[in-house]
Amino acid sequence: MKKVLAGGLLIFVLLLAVVAAGCIGGGEQTGTQTPATVTETKVKTETKVETQVQEKVFVRFAGWSAGETEMKNYEKMIKAFEEQNPNIGIKYEVITQMFHENILASYGAGVAPDVFYVDSAWAPIFIDKGALYPISDLADQSFIDQFYPFLLEPFMKDGKLYGLPKDWSMLALFYNKKLFEQAGLTRPPETWEELEEYAKIIADKTGKPGLAIYLGGFNRYVPVAVSNGAPKPWFEKPEDASWFDNPVVRETLTWYIDLYRKGKTERENQGLTPYVVQPSDVGAGWLGDAFGQQEVGMVISGNWMIPFLADQFPDFKYGEDWDIAPVPAGKEGRVTMVYTVILGINAKTEHPQEAWKFVEFLLGPEGQKELVVKGGQTLPSIKGFENDPDMWPQHKKTLSFKYDQMIVFLWGPKSGPLEGKFSDAMAAAMRGEMSVDEAIEVMKQVVQEELSS
Amino acid sequence: MFSSFSSFYEKARNKEIVAGLTLISIAVILNLVFGYFAMFFAFYLSFFKWDYIGEMQFVGLQNFEIVIRDLIRGLHGAPYLLVPFYTGLKNILLYTLIVVPIQTFLAIVLASFANQKIRGQQFFKVSYFLPATTSSVIVALIFIWLFMKNGYINYVLAHVIPGFEPVDWINNKDYLLFAIATVAIWGTSGHFMVSFLAAMQAIPREIYEAAMLDGAGPIRRFFFITIPMLRPMITYVVVMGLIGALQMFDLAWIMAGANGGPGGAGYTVALDIYNEAFTRIRPGVAAAKSWFLFAIIFTTTYLFQKKYGRAMR
Repeated sequence: MKKVLAGGLLIFVLLLAVVAAGCIGGGEQTGTQTPATVTETKVKTETKVETQVQEKVFVRFAGWSAGETEMKNYEKMIKAFEEQNPNIGIKYEVITQMFHENILASYGAGVAPDVFYVDSAWAPIFIDKGALYPISDLADQSFIDQFYPFLLEPFMKDGKLYGLPKDWSMLALFYNKKLFEQAGLTRPPETWEELEEYAKIIADKTGKPGLAIYLGGFNRYVPVAVSNGAPKPWFEKPEDASWFDNPVVRETLTWYIDLYRKGKTERENQGLTPYVVQPSDVGAGWLGDAFGQQEVGMVISGNWMIPFLADQFPDFKYGEDWDIAPVPAGKEGRVTMVYTVILGINAKTEHPQEAWKFVEFLLGPEGQKELVVKGGQTLPSIKGFENDPDMWPQHKKTLSFKYDQMIVFLWGPKSGPLEGKFSDAMAAAMRGEMSVDEAIEVMKQVVQEELSS
Repeated sequence: MFSSFSSFYEKARNKEIVAGLTLISIAVILNLVFGYFAMFFAFYLSFFKWDYIGEMQFVGLQNFEIVIRDLIRGLHGAPYLLVPFYTGLKNILLYTLIVVPIQTFLAIVLASFANQKIRGQQFFKVSYFLPATTSSVIVALIFIWLFMKNGYINYVLAHVIPGFEPVDWINNKDYLLFAIATVAIWGTSGHFMVSFLAAMQAIPREIYEAAMLDGAGPIRRFFFITIPMLRPMITYVVVMGLIGALQMFDLAWIMAGANGGPGGAGYTVALDIYNEAFTRIRPGVAAAKSWFLFAIIFTTTYLFQKKYGRAMR
């Protein structure tokens, strides 16, 4: 009896050891294979190599999904690519939730895909850790030269380029023409002061809030600071926290936080319609939703709003009911934020050439025409489509605006966590839980802590 | 494979043990791989600095030091954004203190209703138990909609209480945790009701009959017979409730968001572990925090078991 039990336990422990070795070792062997099956597959592959000279190479491509149509477009493109390159097969994996967390975990397990999306805010982590293959070692300079240079800059390190943007978006001012007419306004606001003034007029005249902003939202505040003369925020070492000591930053941050304090809290205390709200105050999920439901006069949002409005609110027409204007200007010019996603190649990939071939196919002029321009989701990252007949007029309009600076959403190596904590501190100040000075103090401490390792 | 196993089975001297071990092997292996291996790996990981991509660096007790420093600074009153673990711990202890007693009491009350011989009690049983079978994410989304400033709860309260000002339950740091606790109580009471119902039906009728002969009314019967007889089950439910409440993640994730919502009022330890592992890319610190949470859960449940876990003599 005891012996049998001990024997059974021994078997479990052995199995556990095999599994553990597979996981910790991070070797080629997946956790559940016993050594017997491994040798079997080895024999099989050896015989395969003898009989087949032309081995088909498989490249794993992972992205998130911006909806059914985008996925179908990608599948179409992948089919076309496989027809052109019969020796390369593409495995398209769609990760719908928590994309970057998934990719990091797959690196940890040693099963990361060969080609995958990387959001600009996450890129520094991947580039610093050497997780991405330098694209500049694979691509011709002439191919790279087709891209907008300001989109490439954040993904350079020591003279090498680590990813190419698959598309991009920028902030613009979306305004409701009907509400503007009701309020007797004839043109969109030109400056930040006018933006607040107009928001007030709309609230007083129409009974609907003039402007919706996110509670917090550090990246939406940065254009206000930089257009008024602050330097671009960049946090690489603890001393960089001094960005918040700049008097312009203090002034503009106070103005931005007061937008909500004065525009919402104070107005409600006076029994008036608030002129600034956050989306949930008007029962909406996000800015695009609040704008599409015609609950607010203006929002500052990106190109991703355009297909959303066309899809969800077909009766709310561009040109007649709503229009786009450039982001308001500050004392020192006009600044907008740019959001982009790159396609990166895994530094540990076994088939860099094949992976590059695929990336080149997706990001080249034909690929972008099909995936980005016709799809109408965002803006193409290579030059030359500005006057393309397939380009949606709304996107074309955003491209025609002139800005003094375009800031890519990236605050240095710890962008993601910093953005989250800055926004939390700003939200707390907007809700009146702490003063602006306290919020700035917290933000500085966050920078010092996140970057002192 | 099967033929060799069956011949081995035929030859085995003690067939029952072989059969038994074989039958439990799948569950045991799964448990070993996904339970115990994960635990040991987390323990191993808590001594390393790692970013998933590069090599693991041994850092000794540095990860634990980070957690302890977080707690100490929190006790000294640092703002919540700088002491996430302390914030999460403070919230989750308050949440547990609210949720566990109320859900246990409510479960007993519901079970005694369901135990009555009245018409339609089957319908009651089903409707109480329904929340337990519904995904917590969906439940949380429904409650967000109910708790909205212009939602149904404010609508009812404004009609029932004269002069009631609508409260923004989800976006107010004073109410958010209570809103989450309400959802948790609503969602789990029905689940534990079933346990109590089973225990109540096991109470012998004779005791009640004897009490009735002695002139005890229904209320007294409930407090002096039902509750004491349920004591082992109450212990079990409280322990399970403690384990569940201290690890609460899903409701906070949906209702407060990954950063814990206004004032960090909905931030929990489980959320912090998640953020540590995937937004701050510090799996070592996350593992250390997991062990802290494990220690807290283990000691509270152990003490509770030790104090109340003995059956009535």
